[in-house]
Amino acid sequence: MNKLYKILYSIFFTLVLSGNLFAQSATKLEGEFKFGPAVILIVLLVTFILVGVFNRAKDTKTYWAAGRKISPVGAGMAIASNWMSAASFLGMAAIMYGSGYHGLSYVVGWTGGYVLLLILMAGQIRRYGKYTAADFIGDRYYSQGLRGVGAGLAIFISFSYCVGQFAGIGLMFKWILGIDYEWAVIIGASVVLTYTLISGMLGVTKNMQIQYVIIIISFIIPLFILTYKFGYFAWLPQVGYGQVISDIVNGIAPGGGLSSMGHDFAILPSPEFAMPWDPATGQTAFQWLAICFSLMIGTAGLPHVIQRFYVVPRAKDARWSVVWGLFFICILYWSAPVYSAFGKILSSNPEVGKLAKDAIVVYTAQLGDLYPLIIGFLAAGAVSAAFSTVSGLLVAGASAFSHDLYFNVINPKATEKKQMLMARIGTILMAAGVAIIALMKLGLIAQLVAVAFSLAGCTIFPLFLLGIWWSGSNRTGAWAGLIAGGSVATVTLVYFIAGKMGATLPYQEFINYYLNAWYFAWLGAPLAIIANIVASKLSKDKTPIEIKKFLAEKVHGVKVN
Amino acid sequence: MTNHEQYEVNFFKPLSDHAKANKKLISSLAIIWAVAVFGFHFLLIFITTPTPEQTLDDFNSVWPQVVEDTSATIEMKQVFAKSMLMVLGKNIAVKDNHKTVLKESLSWSVYSMQPDSVKPLYKLEPKSAAISIGLSSDGFDKIMRNLLTTSLIKVENYSLSNESIEVLPEIMKLYLVHNQSFLTDFKFLGFPFHYWYTAQFLLILFVLLCVFYAVSIDKLNKKHAFAEET
Repeated sequence: MNKLYKILYSIFFTLVLSGNLFAQSATKLEGEFKFGPAVILIVLLVTFILVGVFNRAKDTKTYWAAGRKISPVGAGMAIASNWMSAASFLGMAAIMYGSGYHGLSYVVGWTGGYVLLLILMAGQIRRYGKYTAADFIGDRYYSQGLRGVGAGLAIFISFSYCVGQFAGIGLMFKWILGIDYEWAVIIGASVVLTYTLISGMLGVTKNMQIQYVIIIISFIIPLFILTYKFGYFAWLPQVGYGQVISDIVNGIAPGGGLSSMGHDFAILPSPEFAMPWDPATGQTAFQWLAICFSLMIGTAGLPHVIQRFYVVPRAKDARWSVVWGLFFICILYWSAPVYSAFGKILSSNPEVGKLAKDAIVVYTAQLGDLYPLIIGFLAAGAVSAAFSTVSGLLVAGASAFSHDLYFNVINPKATEKKQMLMARIGTILMAAGVAIIALMKLGLIAQLVAVAFSLAGCTIFPLFLLGIWWSGSNRTGAWAGLIAGGSVATVTLVYFIAGKMGATLPYQEFINYYLNAWYFAWLGAPLAIIANIVASKLSKDKTPIEIKKFLAEKVHGVKVN
Repeated sequence: MTNHEQYEVNFFKPLSDHAKANKKLISSLAIIWAVAVFGFHFLLIFITTPTPEQTLDDFNSVWPQVVEDTSATIEMKQVFAKSMLMVLGKNIAVKDNHKTVLKESLSWSVYSMQPDSVKPLYKLEPKSAAISIGLSSDGFDKIMRNLLTTSLIKVENYSLSNESIEVLPEIMKLYLVHNQSFLTDFKFLGFPFHYWYTAQFLLILFVLLCVFYAVSIDKLNKKHAFAEET
């Protein structure tokens, strides 16, 4: 921990120094090179790489599971920064800014899933003692085929999750460096790839703790200033903004002498911002519930989240790391709506122009006329958020590729060295692929990320839930569940892609509403669970006694005399 | 000799006292979790009713006359123009094609308020429009004044188009009716209650549920001498 403080201290010192030197640089909303923020970003990135180098992974075991040497609080921070991605940092405020109360379904969905994860899985997964999600699936359902499918799914989920992050990185690099989105994505991808390759998981875990502190500080400082500046309760902005919400509902008349960048701090009554499933947002109560449910289920099925439990030394630590992780995550989630509320007021004047929703966090700070360097730090925080998640995802994807696909399925005789090489090749291939897809600008950050959640909820979550809690669930059941969940996902994605390309399929509107790409797990997950149970009951195939014994004794601690 | 049934793990048929207690704990927490999240939102669906803003009532009270034009008084058209501005003030919430209709209707109403002798030479511009609508220079009127600078457009033949007449009442309804109930009107810590409940309380509850579980399961393991690590 001492090392951590030293590093944080030196980052802080450099920031203050660079702050004084280049204070007056970030004033325009878009399109120019911002010197101060650029320096902050470079300092942060160099620090991340140095930390990675000092904590380099020496073999495959370290690369995958960081030697299981991390305290629950530390692991909690790692869970939190691994979790808090561009979608949390930028995307959530963006959705609330555009769709008001509807956006809270993401806030609740992305936190409530941890309760499920903790009470149903965390300790058990740790006691099962595998390295990757596919390992568990292949082992529990005694099938190399399922292991391969599990690995493929892990890669696919991590991949689609990454695309949204790369889009966020591109957006922020574009803002800071004043370069094209394309170049911003390429530069960002190269940097994140470099340090994931150098460091492996131990380095990444250390990095994640530092990144958490940076993410949360950079996100919260502007809120104190905004609430103070506009006369709200500033000691705790997460409570103080309550009045802001009510003021948006009732309207704020100009004349309090409050203004920002030449515009009055005022807004006409806008209840659509806070009222549930407001018709003006075009979002319904069903969609609210479906998104909330899908994101919760997805949380408990994301390979890179589940895999973090292998990092902690004991089952007890696995549980407490979730508790800490959730608390650390909630600090950011309690704060995100504040940005959307101030953003709503500060951009209510049409003269401000149309803003890119995904960057509303940064724009709000700019429109609130904050000290430019604080805004720069905020943007760098957004990059850190995306980076920490991407590195975790790349590790998860690469280990699925090298450990589960290559070592366990393709070439079981591979040496440690060869596996390590394959892990690195996997990382490079994945980063390159993600960068290419991110360049296509398929959708908003949070949308792209939500696809990964529903996918995980439909496929991996049911396998873990039933695999842990019912030894009757067997290989046939697993296949049936995967086919059911996979079919729902396939139908949804086919319709989604067809819609994006302008084609019309039968019942397009019906499917797009009930099986939307952001929330198809509301149907897919229960279907997969039912299919798994029914097929397991009907088939003659029985879970082998060794697996039942292992499950009962090792995972559930049953003593049989 | 091993017997399959001895090792049959099933959440609903616990094999040991420890598993029984664990089942009880998990079930209670899951129920609290589900009721708190989904129960509350079903309640919200059930009790909220579509509630119009004052502006919609104002609009509806003058719309039949305004649409006929001849029978509408200047005051009615002023009320009409203000209701257009109130919706345009929602800015980011309003769709672009709806903005066009609102702007056209607003511009038309300002024009039609002018005396016939002035009409042929009348040029729409924010300052005189504000006077015609009767906007003062403070309070919400000031915001509406500012809105005028971006909201006046040239109106074809200075009459309200048939399409606008057809869609305008629907547009007004879309933006001015909100799902409300005592849960959304009641204030807590400055928040509308339902907003506080979802944005803050649920998250606090999640953390508390997790803490409670982690503490309880540690106790449970101790009580049943359950060895977690082997």
